[in-house]
Amino acid sequence: MTTEEQIQSFRQTWENLRAEIGKVMVGHEEIVDGTLFAIFAGGHVLLEGVPGLGKTLLVRTLSEVLDLSFNRIQFTPDLMPADILGTNLVVESPEGRREFQFQRGPIFAHLILADEINRATPKTQSALLEAMQEKQVTAAGEIRKLAEPFFVLATQNPIDQEGTYPLPEAQLDRFFFKLIVGYPTGAELTEVLNRTTEGVKAQVGKVLDGANLLELQTLVRQVPVASHVKDYAVRLVLATHPKTETAAPIANQYLRFGSSPRGGQTLILAGKVRALTQGRFNVSFDDIQAVAAAALRHRLILNFEAEAEGVTTDHVIAQVLRDVPRDATAVAA
Amino acid sequence: MSEIQIIQTTLERTARRRRLQSAWRGLWHGLFAGGALWLTILGLYKLAPVPEQSLTLGGLAALACLPIGFLAGWWRKPSIVEMARWVDGKQHFQERLSTALEVAGQEKAGRWRDLVLNDAAGRAREFDFRKSLPYHLPVIARWSVLILVLAATLGFVPEYRSKDYLQKKKEKEVMREVGKQLAELTQRSLERRTPALEPTQKALGEVKELGDQLAKLRLNRTEALRELASVTEKLKDQTRELGKDAAIRKLERAARSQTGQSSQSPGELQKQIDSMQKQLGNPNATPEALDKLQKELQKMQQAAAGLPDNDSAAAQQQKEQMSQAMSDLAKKAEELGLSLPSLEEAMKALEAGQIDQFLKDLKFAEIDLEKMQAMAKAMQQLQTEMAKLGKDLAEQLEKGQAMSAQSTLQKMIEQLKSANLSEEQMKKMLEEVDKASKPGSQYGKVGDFLKDAVGKMQQGDKPGAAQSLANASDELKKLMDQMGDAQSMMAMMAALQKAQMCVGNCQGWGQSQGLPRAGKGGKPGRGVGTWADENGWGTDYVEQTDRWDNSGIERPDMEGRGVSDRGEGELADGLVPTKVRGQISPGGPMPSITLKGVSIKGQSKVAYQEAVTAAQSEAQSALSQEQVPRAYQGAVRDYFDDLKE
Repeated sequence: MTTEEQIQSFRQTWENLRAEIGKVMVGHEEIVDGTLFAIFAGGHVLLEGVPGLGKTLLVRTLSEVLDLSFNRIQFTPDLMPADILGTNLVVESPEGRREFQFQRGPIFAHLILADEINRATPKTQSALLEAMQEKQVTAAGEIRKLAEPFFVLATQNPIDQEGTYPLPEAQLDRFFFKLIVGYPTGAELTEVLNRTTEGVKAQVGKVLDGANLLELQTLVRQVPVASHVKDYAVRLVLATHPKTETAAPIANQYLRFGSSPRGGQTLILAGKVRALTQGRFNVSFDDIQAVAAAALRHRLILNFEAEAEGVTTDHVIAQVLRDVPRDATAVAA
Repeated sequence: MSEIQIIQTTLERTARRRRLQSAWRGLWHGLFAGGALWLTILGLYKLAPVPEQSLTLGGLAALACLPIGFLAGWWRKPSIVEMARWVDGKQHFQERLSTALEVAGQEKAGRWRDLVLNDAAGRAREFDFRKSLPYHLPVIARWSVLILVLAATLGFVPEYRSKDYLQKKKEKEVMREVGKQLAELTQRSLERRTPALEPTQKALGEVKELGDQLAKLRLNRTEALRELASVTEKLKDQTRELGKDAAIRKLERAARSQTGQSSQSPGELQKQIDSMQKQLGNPNATPEALDKLQKELQKMQQAAAGLPDNDSAAAQQQKEQMSQAMSDLAKKAEELGLSLPSLEEAMKALEAGQIDQFLKDLKFAEIDLEKMQAMAKAMQQLQTEMAKLGKDLAEQLEKGQAMSAQSTLQKMIEQLKSANLSEEQMKKMLEEVDKASKPGSQYGKVGDFLKDAVGKMQQGDKPGAAQSLANASDELKKLMDQMGDAQSMMAMMAALQKAQMCVGNCQGWGQSQGLPRAGKGGKPGRGVGTWADENGWGTDYVEQTDRWDNSGIERPDMEGRGVSDRGEGELADGLVPTKVRGQISPGGPMPSITLKGVSIKGQSKVAYQEAVTAAQSEAQSALSQEQVPRAYQGAVRDYFDDLKE
């Protein structure tokens, strides 16, 4: 398949995916797009929102439109790492011998829904670290590769704080995007009610299988990025590093830690996906800006002053985007 | 054209356009900056006494801002990459052009390279740089125009200057002008005649130096007045020293009188008179007779102008009358011995009926007559001069005609040296020299030399006599040189006094009339209580025909009448002191004299300011010469300064 055909295929797949998901999901286009960006970039997504906004539904729908194996893990405080990764069980062979056999956990699937991930203990949460980054698990002294493509789509509830364990920074950094799921508008809510209370269940078809998805992920990575656009992504990330020469004033004021290099990678990769979805063959400043909030918001650590003043990482990112010029060497108009 | 070429061409054109636009904007920025600069400098100039040169400099700097602004805009040539980024931003091309430029050189980009280039080229084709970069007036143009209007308006606003500043400025101008004039006068005087005496040369050099100092504004007004007074005093002293010599005084008097003016010997004068007489013809051709003839000619010209230009009987009659008058006029001219060929030609033209030619010839005749009249007048003047000249050496010496005397002596020397001098001539010469020895004694050693010459002539020692006469001639020359020096110094003194008046009154050289002068001979005139120089030397020789003005008469070497050593008896009745207050002692009260006032009728012709300046200058002079006791110097200075204010 030629590049043009691949690009055409990407765009067609993109449109089909959105159409199929749109049959189930009402509104939340940004969330759907963000989730798809992450999937085409090969990243994991953390969905945050109050209960009942359709986070789980989105992931379930995704599992249906993607012809991939799907497992759902409901995170609870008593959930153990072995419950996720799997464990060695003593089994009796037909010959009557007893031996250890590895029983795979739910992590061994293409698409994992880590529902209410912040309800599990840090120990259990960290069981996902290796799987998310290395796409492999180490259990009973043996490394086991996970099937590709592998995605973790986690959800968390921001309001029910009792009995929850906030995700550690290392864990958060492994998520490609953090998407905030907001309330639906009146019209959207009406449509939700119509779809869910009249006994008609929408049927979605498979749009993309794993092999195709991997091909499209490869295609995404080939999208060219101009040096000054890359430079912009770098300057954005550097601007979030407080107490440095490149720091934006707001970063110095409200941030304790800035974005890791993964933030920069996310900006570029997500930008590439966005460029293709927009019918372009190159990444633009607009692409970087459009994905900046989702890519950076979970990578910035606010200081006490920001917490006290109710400043969120989204505020900081918005200000950083205003402070950092798009092209440092551009001729003034 | 390939896709990359399309992109590059578009960007290059845009870059050119943008550069031009940048230069255009720079020009307006330059105009704005220049206007602002000019407005600031003009404003400063209007409010504060900033030197006028700053306006010129400011104007030049403001003008320079325009090309500088243009060049600053033109100077920076944007690169094609910069332009690509700029166009991307301006046209929202989503970094297509800049990415295309970058990817174009990357072979590894493969098919993506073609896709990006194709996409960017499509956008480049759509892009019209003329629409994106139209030529229009930048916003700053409005401000520039406003600033220019403000500057133009401010130009009509008169500048504010304090009275003090204006006064000082005028003083400086006056001092500069005075200095130039003084230096120039001195220079001219030195070029015209090199002083014979070293002190004179030195004094003139000092005047020139002072002039230069004034011209270069190295002195303030007070210092200038003091220096002028000081130099004037020096010159006066030297002139007075020269004036003590009676011989020079006599020569100077003669030089002032008409008899001493001629520098020619009687023989030379006679030669000139004879030559003129020969040209004129008849001795009866006096200026009066010629004047009468000219008037008749003018009458005829007027009559000829009205002559009809036809052959009518009346015209014929008039022409005949004119012809008759012309022949009468020609006869009169002939009687006076005048040769007027134009007159004869005019008659011929009249006979031929050529009125225009006739008028022309009459005009030429009139011009000839005018020339002859001028010659007759000159001859008459020479004759008068001749009559005043001394006939022989004695008379010439008596009248102080040094030049003529020198000339006569020179002739005698030549005669003595020539071999063919007869006894009779020798005797005549002996008598003439003998007779001249007495008046010659008024001129230092001249009398002695002449006597010596007489003795030698009596002994028949012709070379010795010639030598003695040559010595007498040299002595005369020496005296004349000294007199010339004195005259130079007096002229310079007058210039210095005028300079004092100019500086004191803050008047230009041309405006100032100089110090008010005494009357004829410098003697006190009709006024009462005047102060005058009585030695007759050092005063000017301008005749005063107006009413006597005694307000500015100098008294360089005299104290007040009240303490004069000439005795009370010589004072006018009105000037006898009646009361003397105080004593002349340091620290004590100022001595003062009360005089009976005499009312002088009429209005003063001298401005108060000029009179005060004259008095101040005099006081300055007295102060600089220590003529005022030290204890009173401050009081005197303050008094005159107060008067000035």
